[in-house]
Amino acid sequence: MAKNFTRKQVLAGSLPFVAAAPLAKLAWPSTAHGERSATHMGHEHAQMGHAAMIGAEVPAPGGPHAQDDVTFPPRALPHQPGRVREYDLTALDHSIEVAQDVHFDAWSYNGSVPGPIIRATEDDLLRVNFSNAGSHPHTIHFHGIHPGKMDGVFETVLPGGSFTYEFPARPYGMHLYHCHATPLKKHIHKGLYGAFIIDPAKPRPPARELVMVMNGYDTDGDGENNFYTVNGRAFYYAKYPIRVRKGELVRIYLANLTEFDLINSLHLHGEFFRYYPTGSTDHFDYTDTVVLCQGERGMLEIEFHNTGVFMFHAHQSEFAELGWMGFFDVRD
Amino acid sequence: MESGSFAARLGGARWRLWALVPVLALVGAVSLFATTGDSLLDLVGQNPPPRDEVDIRRVEFHPGEIRFKITNPQRDDLTIATVTVDDAVVPYHVDGDSTLGRLRSATIVVRYDWIDGEPLKIGVTSSHGIETSKEIAAAVETPEASGKGFLGYGVIGFLVGILPVALGLAWLPSLRRASPEWLAAFMALTAGLLTFLALEALAEAIDLQAALPSGLGGVGLVLLGVASTYLLLTLLSRQFARGEGVVGGVALATLVAVGIGLHNLGEGLAIGTSFALGELALGSFFVVGFMVHNVTEGLGIATPIAGQRRVSLGRLAALALIAGAPAIPGAWLGGFVTSDVLGVLFFAGAAGAALEVVVEVGRYVARQAPGGLSSGYVLGGYLAGIAIMYLTGLLI
Repeated sequence: MAKNFTRKQVLAGSLPFVAAAPLAKLAWPSTAHGERSATHMGHEHAQMGHAAMIGAEVPAPGGPHAQDDVTFPPRALPHQPGRVREYDLTALDHSIEVAQDVHFDAWSYNGSVPGPIIRATEDDLLRVNFSNAGSHPHTIHFHGIHPGKMDGVFETVLPGGSFTYEFPARPYGMHLYHCHATPLKKHIHKGLYGAFIIDPAKPRPPARELVMVMNGYDTDGDGENNFYTVNGRAFYYAKYPIRVRKGELVRIYLANLTEFDLINSLHLHGEFFRYYPTGSTDHFDYTDTVVLCQGERGMLEIEFHNTGVFMFHAHQSEFAELGWMGFFDVRD
Repeated sequence: MESGSFAARLGGARWRLWALVPVLALVGAVSLFATTGDSLLDLVGQNPPPRDEVDIRRVEFHPGEIRFKITNPQRDDLTIATVTVDDAVVPYHVDGDSTLGRLRSATIVVRYDWIDGEPLKIGVTSSHGIETSKEIAAAVETPEASGKGFLGYGVIGFLVGILPVALGLAWLPSLRRASPEWLAAFMALTAGLLTFLALEALAEAIDLQAALPSGLGGVGLVLLGVASTYLLLTLLSRQFARGEGVVGGVALATLVAVGIGLHNLGEGLAIGTSFALGELALGSFFVVGFMVHNVTEGLGIATPIAGQRRVSLGRLAALALIAGAPAIPGAWLGGFVTSDVLGVLFFAGAAGAALEVVVEVGRYVARQAPGGLSSGYVLGGYLAGIAIMYLTGLLI
């Protein structure tokens, strides 16, 4: 038994604590960071909250015209049965910036998500030359009326292959197209879809026309979307509000191609609109909010009664705050 | 040439130099791999994409503001692209660069109207779109490193550390009147409760390391902690034994106190961290639980000296301090610094120390107890020690 217990031994007994001190220092989080700011990246925001993010301070990718091709549809042509409307679509693998500084390995038609707007007038002969320059088998499946062998389900186009879809455009309305290769969820979510407008034989009244394809991106592959957008870039129309004139007829062709979530929606602030489901009949609802399942689409007609800045966004708050929101800048 | 004569000619010094050859060869091989490594990897497949996991820690809540520290634990650079709070993209500000090299850290500041006492989720998305999130059980304002907070954590450390151990030591006079059999039973009880503490600390260390990013964590860190204190205490007990073979009396009590002290350091750290991060909606009940739990630790220290001649009060106070006081710096560290790496090391260290002391107590009991290790008193005492810790642990 140790009877010669000394003060020295008490000190020795505390050694482990003393030894722990340098370890503590090792693991101590460094506080030696310089106070360099990242404001030049536009991350800092003077206001509290983020519902009012608008303009330059919005973290949205792309320049002021980056989404023009998928926002403004080509002109409607007069009714002329049998006229050939030809489009070339190529499936590509490439990375796109879906939110500021966030890159997503997309599959797309012609390099943008959503793909190019296809437009025809009822009774046109639509001819779509499809080439697959991607690394996986793809197809194009159009919504609308067409023969079974033009449906984009069985005639899978292998990488390097091509296929021409040809059928009369009908019925009139807002439609869409997307890849129907399996696994379907993956092929849609990766970005292979776009808007497909068929104009009625009797032309619609002239309007300022816009296309809005609602989508989402699961950037980390966990089966849940990390970002939501209209036309491909998160918060884009918050950074670049869409300018329209008070009283002018604004027509929006709206489609939902959001994967993983059951529905998506559009809500417009400060105004009501006529909503034509699928745009294939004269039937409309007068409302300020519409809810769409994946593949569902329709047409909105708005005449703004007031000038000002009006928000539009998914009325699933989460989607709005993850990128699906924007503004109309209504002026005289 | 015969190898024997070669060795003879080389001589002892040269063989020592030879030890450098594998090191130099390794350096050569590593640099060769580093320069051509990518083409080699092509032979066996492609490099996987970066995992982009971020280590989010030290989430602080200040009025209208959330700040947290992130570290890049992976080899590749990591660029912070988006920050979300409760699945909403929020504007943020980075102190430092948005692109972090390996093990580099940055502080992210978000202006946010957080709600007191409600859970909240922080997300950081990298430029590859990979999101790491951290859930906060309850947002509570982070105390500034003020004198008041310092005092508060100090008081908590005192209440859960020094006070219960000192109370437990007060059993000493009663223990002195116990028969040798009962004293052996109490020694075994000490071993039982130390075993419990060791296992508890080990489990805590393993839990904590699992939550660390793979670049920082690993059971290796746990083993490092366990082995360091185990060997340190072995060394210490050899010093105390001075050739007598077995450590007993005040020396053994000191070892027990050191083991318990290391445990309380970890315990203080855990309590301080939980308070600071709002993970405890707790209050006094939690502290009371720890107090009851730790009273038995004092009993463990008192038992080895019960068979001794009088021990001065000063010495008893020193033992109480060794065992209890570490809870105070632990609480300070946890409250103001919060490091999971530190937590892993502290808990692992506590486990190693407690295990070593169990071995020492076992040796002592084997030699001193009537009937040795297999007597009913010893076995019963050991189990009772574990049971007491378990039952008082339910209070926490």
